[in-house]
Amino acid sequence: MTTITDELPERHAMGKSMKRKEDPRLIRGKGNYLDDIVLPHMLYLALVHSPYPHARIKKIDKTAALASPGVKAVITGEDLVAAKLGWLPTFHSLDQQMVLAIGKALYQYQEVAGVIATSRKAAIDAVELVDVEYEPLDPVVSPFDAIKDKILVREDREAKTNHIYHWQVGDKDKTEAELAKSDVRIKERILSPRCHPAPLEPCGAIADMNRATGRLTVHLTSQAPHVHRTAFSIVTGIPEDKIHIISPDIGGGFGNKVPVYPGYVVATVASVILGVPVKWVETRTENLTCTGFARDYHMDVEIGATKAGKVTALKVSTVADHGAFDAVADPTKYPAGMFGIVTGSYVFPTAFAEVDAYFTNKAPGGVAYRCSFRVTEASYAIERAMNILAQKLGLDQVELRRMNFIQKDQFPYPSPLGFVYDSGDYEMTMDKALGIIGYKDLLREQAEKRARGEYMGIGISTFTEIVGAGPGKNFDILGIKMFDSAEIRIHPTGSGIVRAGTRHQGQGHETTWAQIVAEELGLDPQELLVEEGDTDTAPYGLGTYASRSTPVAGAALALASRKIRDKARKIAAHLLEASEDDVQWQDYKFSLKGVPGKSVTMKEVAFAAYTNPPPDTEPGLEATYYYDPPNLTFPYGTYIAVVEVDAETGAVQVRRFLAVDDCGTIINPMIVQGQVHGGLAEGFAIAFMQEIKYDDEGNNLNTDFTEYLIPTALETPNWETAHTVTPSPHHPIGAKGVGESPTVGSPQAFTNAVIDALSPLGITHIDVPLTREKVWRAIREAQAK
Amino acid sequence: MDLQWNGQEQIAAGKAAVWAFINDPAKVASCLPDVLDFDVKDSHNVDATVQVAVGPVRGKFKFAITLIPSADQSHMDLKISGGGFGSVVDLNAGADIAENSDKSTTLNWQGKATMRGPVATIGGRVLDSQAHRVIGTTFENIKNKVSAAA
Repeated sequence: MTTITDELPERHAMGKSMKRKEDPRLIRGKGNYLDDIVLPHMLYLALVHSPYPHARIKKIDKTAALASPGVKAVITGEDLVAAKLGWLPTFHSLDQQMVLAIGKALYQYQEVAGVIATSRKAAIDAVELVDVEYEPLDPVVSPFDAIKDKILVREDREAKTNHIYHWQVGDKDKTEAELAKSDVRIKERILSPRCHPAPLEPCGAIADMNRATGRLTVHLTSQAPHVHRTAFSIVTGIPEDKIHIISPDIGGGFGNKVPVYPGYVVATVASVILGVPVKWVETRTENLTCTGFARDYHMDVEIGATKAGKVTALKVSTVADHGAFDAVADPTKYPAGMFGIVTGSYVFPTAFAEVDAYFTNKAPGGVAYRCSFRVTEASYAIERAMNILAQKLGLDQVELRRMNFIQKDQFPYPSPLGFVYDSGDYEMTMDKALGIIGYKDLLREQAEKRARGEYMGIGISTFTEIVGAGPGKNFDILGIKMFDSAEIRIHPTGSGIVRAGTRHQGQGHETTWAQIVAEELGLDPQELLVEEGDTDTAPYGLGTYASRSTPVAGAALALASRKIRDKARKIAAHLLEASEDDVQWQDYKFSLKGVPGKSVTMKEVAFAAYTNPPPDTEPGLEATYYYDPPNLTFPYGTYIAVVEVDAETGAVQVRRFLAVDDCGTIINPMIVQGQVHGGLAEGFAIAFMQEIKYDDEGNNLNTDFTEYLIPTALETPNWETAHTVTPSPHHPIGAKGVGESPTVGSPQAFTNAVIDALSPLGITHIDVPLTREKVWRAIREAQAK
Repeated sequence: MDLQWNGQEQIAAGKAAVWAFINDPAKVASCLPDVLDFDVKDSHNVDATVQVAVGPVRGKFKFAITLIPSADQSHMDLKISGGGFGSVVDLNAGADIAENSDKSTTLNWQGKATMRGPVATIGGRVLDSQAHRVIGTTFENIKNKVSAAA
């Protein structure tokens, strides 16, 4: 039976706001990021990029670049083709991607050639000397133009069309029939615009081919080092045992550091050719223009409902812009990721979702930017559409939700689009949020302000996420099942080392992993060293993204700990001179049933494991566990934004923002709060600031932080946070994951608040980002009507 | 990014002097602001290296300039293409040349530029006024040099 509570139980190590073990080194500048690493004889790679979004490459003349001081090599796409390394499989496995442009450049800033030199400056100078002769071609910039197939982006593919795939889920006929006969129907095109994870540390690699050992070591900004090792082996043909991936400290990933990028491959090829280490670290512009973008979903959302507000059907038809390659980071069998979560927290008797994806002359990507595979898009669509419906019905946004929530006794809840939600009590969480924010008082205040002609808005988002990919039977990347792993070794003195197949980028695994193991084994989390990111030592795992670390590797850690505890029980029985059946694990130590005071600690057991093991037991105390989850987890929350809109300028002031999250069992409340704060800042940026825009000619207009804005302390609102706890029934410790909830759940709360403020003007929707100009124009247009 | 501008110069010289000047690729290249050097290819073509500073984009751009005079000596088209720092600039300018009753010459010019790469994006906020300044200064320099020689 799932226990639902908003109180945290007192525990040994879990549920405590332990300070992050990784912070002392990071805040003292003792971290080891990729660009900190300098190897003997290291060369530097800089890339030549196409200024054209679509152009035939007539000729590449390397002569002047090769003659430039310090230049050791210039590599082009044709060189890579000759080495059978011209193309790279995408994670999705349905497409392949040019490493360097071959024949045609397919998007502005596409990598065309690589220059390797003795210094970064020498390489950058010589980039200017690579003479590329282009024949410009008309680009296709909008996915809606791509549909027409007048300009073909990909001549290399057998299918002479820009259409990549059609994916659908649900009952189309039934949904359309229900929509047709519904009392009330809303339809809106909702854009989840192209944005970029923009980690403060950009992507990079140092490839180091040791000709003496035949071993390739790659220091890599990688969220998934083992998958990258396998991918490198597949791409290069180098046996996997000869490849060593080391993911050092990472300055943010947010999905951007999951794919394999051309710079990685060119650095590796250069190191193989030259026999010395080659470093590539991208610039901010390269990061924003070349490496994995996110979203770019154009969603036509329709909801049918009764006059009273009970929803009857949901249909979502999406046009997805994938850029020049289908390089999305979704699991193989899920080309549109987990977009099927689009029914959200509500009971839709029937639903249908479809996605059609297209190639355009834009950078490839479609990474899960702090989101579990298209969940942000889906959540944004349903939460926005519910408010549009409330507006049409003249119903309060809260009451519409309350009327349509999945009820707590309906869990496990099979959604009409195929997922089985694990647990939740949406009403309890929403009511807690409404109480904290003082909803009734806010409504009263809003009515008074409206009477004075002021624009105050309240926006709610009662989102449900889907994370923890995933059950191996459904989810894989490059065919590798999406399990994860843990290895724990307890030393004789009761300290230990914990390794996992995940790779944190700020999530705090060095702390929370230690807390899980310490909780399970009654040890001191300060004495458990956590290591990740080195493929020579860590067990194989699928990495950290899509909020999957705690749901998958966290479970592996708990279960590996329990394996250790099983063995420890035998040793404890030996020490207590009792039968194993008489030994119980209670209050974080082994004790004899019915004999108070007779007990041994895990530290004592650990020492005995090496010094005095039972005769029939092998020495040592360690375990490995590979965990394949039986289901995904479904974190959820209620977020409420309160805004004031200045109708004269279009400026939006976020007055309050409350996030009440339910991520199941909480391992470290301080870290969860930090995760929520960070995710809310990114959600705020998506709502108000961030979009990667292209002009009609295919020029990328957001190529650095002067045009692609990162919120600072000046703009970022003060966050209020709270939680409820609904453990996942199938997870060993009941945890669900939280890293992405705030990014998934918050943009629509901001948008709903702004639209609520402007609803007296008849405004029902404005696409994000809600810049002053857009809001101002919407107000002016509404006033002109 | 497409940009368009136009302007007018009154030159205190006759049409023949103006026409002779703008048919000389070396003289036209010398009128580009911040020109570092140029290499005359033939009677209609010149390659020029120009110091460019558009917002944060600063460096040397190389341009190929082609002069396309009309047969009736009333119009000159100017094609400038090139770039640098991963940017491409295609500029098509044209000037109508008409002699006035006081023997001075009026130059009505217009320009259209297509820009790609960092110069269009990073420099986008200041590009329009900067490019307007470049092309305006070029025709102003033509005016000044022809007038001075007259």
